[in-house]
Amino acid sequence: MPLRQTLRVVYSAFRLAMLHWLADPQWVIPNVIAPFVFTFVALTLFKEASGPFGLYAVLGGGMMGMWGNTLYASGFAIEFEKWQGTLEEVVATPSNLMHVVAGRSVSNAVFGLTNMVAILLIASFVFRVHLGVANPVLFGVAIVLTLLSVSALGLIFASAFVLSRSAQVFTNGLEFPIYVVSGSMFPIALLPFWTHPVSYVLGPTWGIEAIRTAAGQANVSFTFFQDVGVMVLITLAYVAVAAFLFKKVEEKSRRDGTLVQA
Amino acid sequence: MHLWVSDVSSEVGEVSFDRAIVAEHLCKVFNVSKGTLRRRKTRVVAVKDVSFVVDYGEIFGLVGPNGAGKTTTIKMLTTMLIPTSGRAFVLGYDVGRDVTRVRERIGVVLGGERGLYTRVNAIDNMRYFADLYGVPTSVRDRRVRELLEFMGLWERARDRVETYSKGMKQRLHLARGLINDPQLIFMDEPTIGLDPEIAKETRSMIRQLVEKGKTILLTTHYMFEADELCRRVAVIRNGEIVALDTPSGLKRYVMDTSVVEVEGFGITEAEVARFKEVSEVLAVSADLSENKQILKIQTPKGSEIISEVQEILKGCRIYDLKIKEPTLEDAYLRLVEGSGE
Repeated sequence: MPLRQTLRVVYSAFRLAMLHWLADPQWVIPNVIAPFVFTFVALTLFKEASGPFGLYAVLGGGMMGMWGNTLYASGFAIEFEKWQGTLEEVVATPSNLMHVVAGRSVSNAVFGLTNMVAILLIASFVFRVHLGVANPVLFGVAIVLTLLSVSALGLIFASAFVLSRSAQVFTNGLEFPIYVVSGSMFPIALLPFWTHPVSYVLGPTWGIEAIRTAAGQANVSFTFFQDVGVMVLITLAYVAVAAFLFKKVEEKSRRDGTLVQA
Repeated sequence: MHLWVSDVSSEVGEVSFDRAIVAEHLCKVFNVSKGTLRRRKTRVVAVKDVSFVVDYGEIFGLVGPNGAGKTTTIKMLTTMLIPTSGRAFVLGYDVGRDVTRVRERIGVVLGGERGLYTRVNAIDNMRYFADLYGVPTSVRDRRVRELLEFMGLWERARDRVETYSKGMKQRLHLARGLINDPQLIFMDEPTIGLDPEIAKETRSMIRQLVEKGKTILLTTHYMFEADELCRRVAVIRNGEIVALDTPSGLKRYVMDTSVVEVEGFGITEAEVARFKEVSEVLAVSADLSENKQILKIQTPKGSEIISEVQEILKGCRIYDLKIKEPTLEDAYLRLVEGSGE
């Protein structure tokens, strides 16, 4: 499929998902109320600490929201289609199912990003925490790339949902470990050594490092670009793995008739 | 029992672009797991040795009871299922190998209350599928409008689909099935659950599509619908095609019989079972759900059986009893009852 058509499908799926999110007022709970509670708890815990703990707490909460949203909702992308009864219609089109799910996955990550923005705003204006971001441009670039990396990781999990909704148990169980291992809340150096290989194959681990670097250093450093570069490579590898898995699970589900089973 | 009123098996075998559909000995077997602690796998044969051809510009009907294999056959032809054995060509393309080419050229209308994005409006539903089918952006919005106008939905096109009636949703299904201007449209029970007026409207739209040069394969439970719309009908039972002919050809199969139709009250399954034991009775169908119950008995004996009917229904109230010419539905019942279901 030509790249232009692929991007069109991804955008169209992204747009439809955003329209659905906006039509459903429930998004207020995970994206405004939950971040408020999280920020309140985190800032209370770090109240007496010195250093950039406020920023760490806020970024950690934001990442948690972005990752949680993406992991849950990427899997939910297939479930959503099954509930609506639209999965067969979508599969019957010549578009690749992975491109459709990719659009939904990015929309979920963007929604997760609103979670992070909500945390930043609540921390700054309600709790009066000074969140000095040294290099706002690179900070923004790192966040967007991390968002795409998280979406690509979500795609891998989404492929499992083509086969069975039992995959929900799998992704629910992975949400918190990945959040910890990727160093969202505290640096991975604090974790046991044996967990480091897992951390280093997770794109968000490098993304969070880059975000923290951009937040703390005004001048562009080699470390920042190294982190971003590794994250991009890992993300591309995720996309390749997801494409392979989607092809295999779609073929299997067409053979076993499991594509539209609830 | 295989009844090929008009055998088409000789037509199958030559694959070309001259036919809209060529299905050759299609089979689909599912492995189903049973049990919770001790899971056992069993093989379920959903479709066995199904062969037929559909010509361009034809409305071809696939009829049969629930679980007969109609939907599985459609899913194999629309590339959503891979046949266990056999092969099929849609618009000249192999459904197993040329998946994208087949999908680009066909429309699928599965119908029903579901299958639409109900939180968004009809235009967004249509645009989304136009993008998925790769409809050129230069024609997309014009086509969306034309189709919604054709289906009489343009006035409400900006309202959320969740506010639509059943009939409107069905028309939106049809409009979406046409978004890629397909040559061939698969419709799975397009009028199920619709009130008679809307069902009639839907049938009229289906006829208009054929006038515009489309080919349609539809499944239905309603024999009068198949009779009214289809040039040829295949009756499928237990995964096998047991008859394939024009509606009048199928009716000829029951020409030697007549139908005793009884309208009454108090008729139970016990009476229906007793009729099935009568040697002169070829098939029995009964609608016992309503206050006015209807019993249809197919028999070659005609009026000679009336005294026996009255004897069996002795304890029931009979409002009306008449002898009628058999319809396509009677032919269908006789064909599907051959299984002993």
